[in-house]
Amino acid sequence: MNLDLSFTDYFQYEFMQRALISALVVGLCAPAVGVFLVQKRLALIGDGLGHIALTGVAIGFLTGAAPMWTTLVVTVLASIVMELLRSHSKTSGDVALAMMFYGGIAGGVYLTGIASDKGVANLQQYLFGSLLTAGWSEVWTIAVGGAAVAILMLVLRPWLTAICADEQYARVSGLPVGALNLLLLITTAVTVSVSMRAVGLLLVSALLVIPVVTVQQFTRSFKTTMFTAMGAGLLIAGTGVVASAARDVPPGSTIVLIGVLVFVATAALAAVTRRVRRIRRGHLPPEGEPLEVELPAKA
Amino acid sequence: MPVLNVRGATVSYGGRAVVRGADLAVEPGEAVALMGANGSGKSTLIKAVAGLVPLAGGTIELFGTPQKRFRDWKRVGYVPQRTGAASGVPSTAAEVVSQGRLAHRLLGMPPRRADRDAVARSLAEVGLADHAHCSVDTLSGGQQQRVLIARALATDPDLLIMDEPTVGVDAETQTALATVIADRIDAGCAVLLVTHELGPLTDRLDRAVVLADGRVVHDGAPPRPVGEHADPAHEHAHPHANGDTADDFWGGR
Repeated sequence: MNLDLSFTDYFQYEFMQRALISALVVGLCAPAVGVFLVQKRLALIGDGLGHIALTGVAIGFLTGAAPMWTTLVVTVLASIVMELLRSHSKTSGDVALAMMFYGGIAGGVYLTGIASDKGVANLQQYLFGSLLTAGWSEVWTIAVGGAAVAILMLVLRPWLTAICADEQYARVSGLPVGALNLLLLITTAVTVSVSMRAVGLLLVSALLVIPVVTVQQFTRSFKTTMFTAMGAGLLIAGTGVVASAARDVPPGSTIVLIGVLVFVATAALAAVTRRVRRIRRGHLPPEGEPLEVELPAKA
Repeated sequence: MPVLNVRGATVSYGGRAVVRGADLAVEPGEAVALMGANGSGKSTLIKAVAGLVPLAGGTIELFGTPQKRFRDWKRVGYVPQRTGAASGVPSTAAEVVSQGRLAHRLLGMPPRRADRDAVARSLAEVGLADHAHCSVDTLSGGQQQRVLIARALATDPDLLIMDEPTVGVDAETQTALATVIADRIDAGCAVLLVTHELGPLTDRLDRAVVLADGRVVHDGAPPRPVGEHADPAHEHAHPHANGDTADDFWGGR
């Protein structure tokens, strides 16, 4: 019971409560957006917007405005540019992504250089997050932003699935493909910039993707994948905060490491399950295509 | 009034005209095949009709409305050229087919009984009712193709556009699909079918339009197989039967 005692001990401190709440909200909401990004094969977009967010943070330092808002503006603008590039020019998704990686980092470092008195150390705080120094107002922003993002994604799930799975079909069936694409990117931008101060750019993009790719090895439907990924994100984030408190290490990196470990472990498990399933199938096997040759009769 | 009226359509890719001044009309309840060799421009023309590639010249009217102003896309069922129904995140057959009902639903509203019924009905039509809750990536290639056809049928279309729906589908399934499509034609649905082979689906055709090098070279009675091709045992070998989306072996279109 020693562990139990120390556990409650940690969460007597308000900063630990705040850390836990922010991590849980991000853990729950990020996969709700991430499932569509994985479906669209844009798993790295969260990271790309994270790099752009650095430029936003630096603009915040430079102008003295709250970095969260400058980041929000910069990432939303970047996602609009990215979507326009993708749909109206021959730039492919991964080229646009590459430009975001390079431009974002360079912009961030350049602008922080100009505002050198405000310190590059601050930039690191946004990269890896500082769950433990977040104030209640930041926790509230995360909770409200997270709830809005999750509700939007849950309500629009069928439409977003359609544009992410088969954009051409969605276009022919008359769905507002451009608007929905933009909405998805903007939601990603909001998720990244609202949660980065507390949990870090590294962590939020990992939480967009890791829970989804972990659970999709075992699920059969999109709906189940979405809900179980949200649950898995919650668990990974919660475990990470508790584990980091126990060892007194940064929560952001602990959460990501736990996520990666869980993914590797489940991937191994999935390989075994698939072998078992091949023997005991959950559904009817594809009906045998009729033999279109005549087997030679035995003499 | 034709459900589809294409006049002088020209489509070019990077300055090279792939479709040159093609005319194509489909009357209500009519079944028309768009045929031609690989690279003749038939898939490109169909993509232009679906609004996926822009026209360089000519006009397209759907249900009497110029395509640019046409908003009633739920009257059009579209089966894309085989890309496989599977994608990054697992989806069940029922989930993929229900995409065909989204145009009937208000954004953000849950499905109504009519939507759920249409999904169940079209899955049953293509013989996949038992597989509704199976992940599409565990289905065979032919079954995935049937899922895509069910998705188009779920729209309750007045015009069904199918781009090579039977590539990689075995003969028995082709016959079953032909029956499903024939039922829809009898119910008044117009069909535009892109194909480069004659098979069970082409038996029910009213008309065939043949493209060669981007131009219409025949518009009238569907061609009948002759010689060796008339032999029911004759088998074509298709370079992209394994799901390659390129129109010919060399990767061109």
